[in-house]
Amino acid sequence: MTILEELPVEATQTCSATVRFSDGVERVFPVRTGQTILAAAKENDVRLVHQCLTGSCGTCVTRVESGEVRMNTARGTSLLPSEAAEGFRLTCTSFCDSDAVMHFDYPSSLLDEPGPERCTAVVGEASWVASNVVRLSLRLPDEAGLEFRSGQYVRVRVPGTEEWRSYSMASTMGDLPELVLLLRVLDAGVMSDYLRSRVKVGDEMELEGPFGLFYLRDSKAQQIMIAGGTGLAPMLGMLEDIRLKSGRKPKVLLSFGCATEDNLFYQDELETRAAWLPGLKVKVAVANPGPGYSGLVGNPVEVIGAADLVDPPSAVAYLCGPPPMIESARRHLEALGLHPDNIHAEHFSASAA
Amino acid sequence: MDMKRTVKKANNDAARRLYAPYAEAEWGFLNHWYPARFAGEVPEGSAVGVQICGVPIVLRRSKGKVYALKDQCLHRGVKLSAKPMCLTEDTITCWYHGFTFSIETGELVSIVAAPDDEIIGTTGIPTYPVEEVNGIVFVFVKSDDWEDEIPPLAQDLPIRFPDNNERFPHPFWPDTPSMLDKDAVALGVHRTGYANWRLACENGFDAGHLLIHKDCTIVQAKDWAVPLGIKPLTDQATQLIEDEDGPKGFINMYFTENYEPVLVNERLNVKASGTVPKYFRTSMFLPGVLMVENWPEENVVQYEWYVPITDDTYEYWEVLVKRCPTEEDVKGFEYRFKNFYEPMALHGFNDCDLFARDAMQNFYADGAGWADEQLGDMDYSIITWRKVASRYNRGIAKKPRGVSGVVKGASNVLAEIRGPGCGHYRDKKGE
Repeated sequence: MTILEELPVEATQTCSATVRFSDGVERVFPVRTGQTILAAAKENDVRLVHQCLTGSCGTCVTRVESGEVRMNTARGTSLLPSEAAEGFRLTCTSFCDSDAVMHFDYPSSLLDEPGPERCTAVVGEASWVASNVVRLSLRLPDEAGLEFRSGQYVRVRVPGTEEWRSYSMASTMGDLPELVLLLRVLDAGVMSDYLRSRVKVGDEMELEGPFGLFYLRDSKAQQIMIAGGTGLAPMLGMLEDIRLKSGRKPKVLLSFGCATEDNLFYQDELETRAAWLPGLKVKVAVANPGPGYSGLVGNPVEVIGAADLVDPPSAVAYLCGPPPMIESARRHLEALGLHPDNIHAEHFSASAA
Repeated sequence: MDMKRTVKKANNDAARRLYAPYAEAEWGFLNHWYPARFAGEVPEGSAVGVQICGVPIVLRRSKGKVYALKDQCLHRGVKLSAKPMCLTEDTITCWYHGFTFSIETGELVSIVAAPDDEIIGTTGIPTYPVEEVNGIVFVFVKSDDWEDEIPPLAQDLPIRFPDNNERFPHPFWPDTPSMLDKDAVALGVHRTGYANWRLACENGFDAGHLLIHKDCTIVQAKDWAVPLGIKPLTDQATQLIEDEDGPKGFINMYFTENYEPVLVNERLNVKASGTVPKYFRTSMFLPGVLMVENWPEENVVQYEWYVPITDDTYEYWEVLVKRCPTEEDVKGFEYRFKNFYEPMALHGFNDCDLFARDAMQNFYADGAGWADEQLGDMDYSIITWRKVASRYNRGIAKKPRGVSGVVKGASNVLAEIRGPGCGHYRDKKGE
């Protein structure tokens, strides 16, 4: 009885643990009596490397710089007595008997999401796929650590200049080390000039990424993709994500539009994608077609009607194109019953020339 | 030498891209039902290891019911089935360090020598849905990220009759039985073939491959009029089957106006022999199950599966199904199976197919064949299959890690072929 009454009192006592990482980052959090340091860290969102939770594997090792840190003597661990004498402890099976400072031999960012990487890519192929679109195939170096989600973009430096431009990936992680970008070529612009006059296989191109929050949301509802011109690029990656995901695939409506017929590209590719994905419906529209044109006329927004939507309140939309298209698409989809939170957009920035 | 090259390679890049997902599927398609073992091969209390699409699976029968779990201990990766240890009816124990898993949920419920270990209850191994139908244990080989409900087995089995009589008439034979029919009895064999599973699939319904069966004993003995080949004439020769909630595949409409049998080749002085008409029809369904209707005899159907084990081995299943409403019918079917179908058809006839698939493997093993093959008119249904499979598969198995057959020529001889008996490790004493 006595012991039982005493325990809660003890359990409320806390010590303060300070953890220092190799990059100098320091975090402080409370550790309750009887609580392991690892458990306390977890409770306080401090991420520490660990594995077995039983003191066996040694992954969670730390070196105590000051304070009393006691290993659980009730179990055998892989920590050698000589290591213990030098101040090493296993955080999954040790407790703070006083405030303590511990050092970890890895940077605090080790368990973070990967941030943007920089590398130098090489031009593998540059081909004109429409009157104003170049498909640029880059080869990344073996040591490049680029990890991205389909739909995100990278920045590339225009060779021979200090100018950087942003482009969405048209390829997926599975295609690495090849990275495919679709570039809109304008009448004037540093990248456009480079593509028109100087680009050649083997050119080096500095690259940084990934960036952006434009990626496929986890949803079984209908996915609506509206792409203007090279805004098709991120959709191609996201379509691959849908194809490769296990389970029942969502219905997808892809509406792709260009100003003129000779601006159109990837018609065969879209047909292929529709063959792979039974739930994919593709609409292709041209705003200003020539006389012989027999397809849909208009922009990729207005050719979508209520009949194309399965259940608007649950549908998720992805928009990529010039800002006016994004604006009109938002208005149009909201009018058709889509929830504003379910509409995700990536627009061409002004410098994306 | 001036060799005239007039034949255009039909399988150019653009055409091949249409079935690129199929080309990716070296290790098969996940999230489908596959036959794993005959029921009799998984007796009560046993734990039997199989590998499907690179996924090691242990089948454990307890109180009559078969359970399937990943056959790889989460601790050090050995196969639980390598040396089965079942200490209770609701668990399976790893023979090495005693990690013990619930056969129902896969959860780590105890460790023989460390019952207080803190990881108990915090982790486990994947389990797989099982259906036992007509003496065959089917497993739904699920990827770890599958979250949907499990599709019914019927969606991964061939279409049924008489339901499809109007759609696919068969004037030359009675309604084809199905594995799922009342009173159906399934008898068969399975063995390992040494080729990629896709080569095996494509052999089954290949309209041009009848030549390899020309000299088969059963064909000669029964004087069957088997043509040299069957030539597609119309775009209806191969018809797609892609109903929303049904099996996905296609059917070859043999013995209709859409196909023409090739009976003679004058240039080579070869003629189809045989005087007894032999009507049959092939159809193929995801994830790779063939139906040969009216085969080997009337009222019997032959199913074949080519279940991927690795990217260069597959388990070849041949199963004959017949409706046997009476005990006498069952006995008659079993007798005929043992004394006629098994030796002359499943072995005599289909051994030629096994040989042909193995013989293709070298050309395709390093990927060259998929790019260099020269397909022709007769290969219409092969391209159809590749496209259908690209479109309707429920997931492409990635090259696995840490399982049998990934590293070619790895030394698994002692652990896997010799078995766990200590006696195998004794020195040879000489005869």
